[in-house]
Amino acid sequence: MNKIAKLFITFISALTLTLTSITSSFAKVEDGMIVLGSAISLTGKYSSNGVHTQNGYNLAVDRINKMGGVKVGGKSYKFEIIYYDDESNPKRAAQLAERLIKQDGVHYMLGPYSSGLTKAIAPVTEKYKIPMVEANGASRSLFTKGYKYLFAVLSPANQYLEVAIDLAVEKNGGKGVKIAQAFEQDAFSQDVRLGILDAAKRTGSKIIIDDKLPKELNDMAATLAKVKATKPDVLVVSGHTKGALTAIRQISEMKVDVPMLAMTHCDAAKLSKQHGKKSEYALCASQWHKNLSYKDKFFGGGKKYDRDFKKEFGYAPPYQSAESSAALLVFKDAFERANSFDRDKVRDALKATDMQTFYGNIKFGPGGQNVAKPMILFQVRCKGDTCENKVVAPTKWASDKFFHPIPPWSERG
Amino acid sequence: MEKVKQKDLILYSGLIILGLVAPYLFSAFKVQLTYLCVLIVLAMTWNLQGGEMGYNSFGNILFYGLGMYLTASVQVGMFFPLAEWTESGGEKTFVHTTAQYFQGIGVGLLVAAIVPALVAGAIGYAILGLRGHYFAICTLGLGIAAGEIAGGIEIIGAGQGFTTPPFPAEIVDPEARGKFFYFTSFIVLVLAFIFVKYIYGSRFRLILNAIRDNEDKAEAMGIQTMKYKIVGWMVSAFFCGLAGGIMGGLIGYIDSTDVAFDGREMGVFMVLMAILGGKGTLWGPIIGATLFHFFKEGLWTFILGWQYVALGVLIVVIVIYFPEGLMGWLREKYPERFGEVIDEKDRKSQVELK
Repeated sequence: MNKIAKLFITFISALTLTLTSITSSFAKVEDGMIVLGSAISLTGKYSSNGVHTQNGYNLAVDRINKMGGVKVGGKSYKFEIIYYDDESNPKRAAQLAERLIKQDGVHYMLGPYSSGLTKAIAPVTEKYKIPMVEANGASRSLFTKGYKYLFAVLSPANQYLEVAIDLAVEKNGGKGVKIAQAFEQDAFSQDVRLGILDAAKRTGSKIIIDDKLPKELNDMAATLAKVKATKPDVLVVSGHTKGALTAIRQISEMKVDVPMLAMTHCDAAKLSKQHGKKSEYALCASQWHKNLSYKDKFFGGGKKYDRDFKKEFGYAPPYQSAESSAALLVFKDAFERANSFDRDKVRDALKATDMQTFYGNIKFGPGGQNVAKPMILFQVRCKGDTCENKVVAPTKWASDKFFHPIPPWSERG
Repeated sequence: MEKVKQKDLILYSGLIILGLVAPYLFSAFKVQLTYLCVLIVLAMTWNLQGGEMGYNSFGNILFYGLGMYLTASVQVGMFFPLAEWTESGGEKTFVHTTAQYFQGIGVGLLVAAIVPALVAGAIGYAILGLRGHYFAICTLGLGIAAGEIAGGIEIIGAGQGFTTPPFPAEIVDPEARGKFFYFTSFIVLVLAFIFVKYIYGSRFRLILNAIRDNEDKAEAMGIQTMKYKIVGWMVSAFFCGLAGGIMGGLIGYIDSTDVAFDGREMGVFMVLMAILGGKGTLWGPIIGATLFHFFKEGLWTFILGWQYVALGVLIVVIVIYFPEGLMGWLREKYPERFGEVIDEKDRKSQVELK
């Protein structure tokens, strides 16, 4: 046993030496670099959206650095991001946030993907008073906690599909409708559900199916069977990318006829590409669309962003990428207005943000949510075999008229 | 005999001192150190029935998650209406005072240790009659079922998740929270070690080993195997619950399947760590957990996106080259250091025979 003990002691002392040498060798602003930290989902169930987020961040960092960087105190600084993979797991995300702040010395954070992960990270950034601009945590409960260092460039989750219910009621001649809904068991989708409940109450609509979907979402046949039997006016589904794909796949397989189908995450799932005509008429909530008329000097407008993004990454940017890019623009703007790297000054500057980006207007409410930008709805429409997302609401940006009701499968080719 | 004890004493006091100064020495690594303590507790207690008793359980995550939800619920429920707390996502309207926070977490941890142990007793009574693969598969189901059920219970936040009470704002020192959770987990680790060490020197361990080696014979010898199997599992559950409670407070946000009943990660890790170090030994799970944690924290960031592939390779390497774990490998290599007496003559004669 004593030899083992010696071995063990040697092992531990070796570790001690290595660890002490690693600590405290980083700094937040070094050699003209502003180092931002982000835990992002590169693996796990949010991996596709995590990559959209990362691509959005990277594109903006590149663009800002190329166009002169961030000017603070007469000197020009460049952005750099330290990424870790949070594996789509809140536990890991919280731990990585701690690691970024304590070990890598990061003083400014960018958000992860999804509300659940943002919920896990926000208490950490709050504790260390680290300003975090996040672009992918929309859950309403993030903005009711009185967080002082959290800023979200997106509209809260409960607003995502409320408009869809209003549209359905309008098409029904102002009378309440029958709603069937199915939501994934996660923070974001459950908030979308709360929004629908509010809208239903407001419009006197009735919810006839209210299902929960598991997290590893690849089957919702049970819900769809009920939909077939009860014939609701609207079917609402939310479950991130997998939810959108599963819904379209099974609705077309089971030939479920419903006059209106409202969803989230259609563009992140590349629905119109993956499922083509099967996804036609699906109504989708989106934070952004390339046809909107917002502008800034870094990306120009939405169409230009769309082109640049395609050139860089080979696919059309979903709104998750656009809002992520916008987060960097917000940070740059705040640093320049604060003209300092003092965290509290930067925080105050973030708080006072009031700007337009290609992604939309950004102004933070008291809880940190963006109050200056409405949600939009688009509908998948097809010409021949090519399908595209067309904005149908709000009317200010609508490029097409909302098509209602969805024709039954027997009439669809 | 006395000499060995003295050596042990030096080792233990050395480790305890190291444990006590670690958060000051590596201030930036407090969270990782807390994780390490929790991982060791999980591996060590898994080893009790996985390694010593031969009942490979994938269900210990059930007790871990249960402990997590219980601690948080008690901590909130003692002072505020729990349903309102979770519905508002832990809104700022309810703020724990410093005293409330520590009272809450103290009572919470107590409940989180006792209730899972009782649950283990009840479930164990029902399923410990299963053996081998049947038991493993059954426990695997337990963790998954618990996650799905917890995801549907509104009062603990369901799919929205449960925000645990934030550390009291009156304590200004930003390091205080890290220290508190580190020392709590360290105390649990020490308690678990003392307890497991005590078991290793007792008749109880021999009975567990007898069950592992041949349950029917053990029973034929007059041992009430069921009783011991249940007690063994309850001990594991007790410490798993405590570990879960601490992690819930540390992470600050409980999600039903990703944080609490996280069978895919924590549930597998605890088995992996015990096997890596060598199951059925006292130090194996401790060394396994430490190595695993360092591997995970050190290497994973360098292979972004590929870490699970690396983990898979690691598992394959362990299974092929160290089927008995590191301790088992060492024991085979240097049996004399483990106090095994080798008859040189006998060994030579065996070699010559070949």
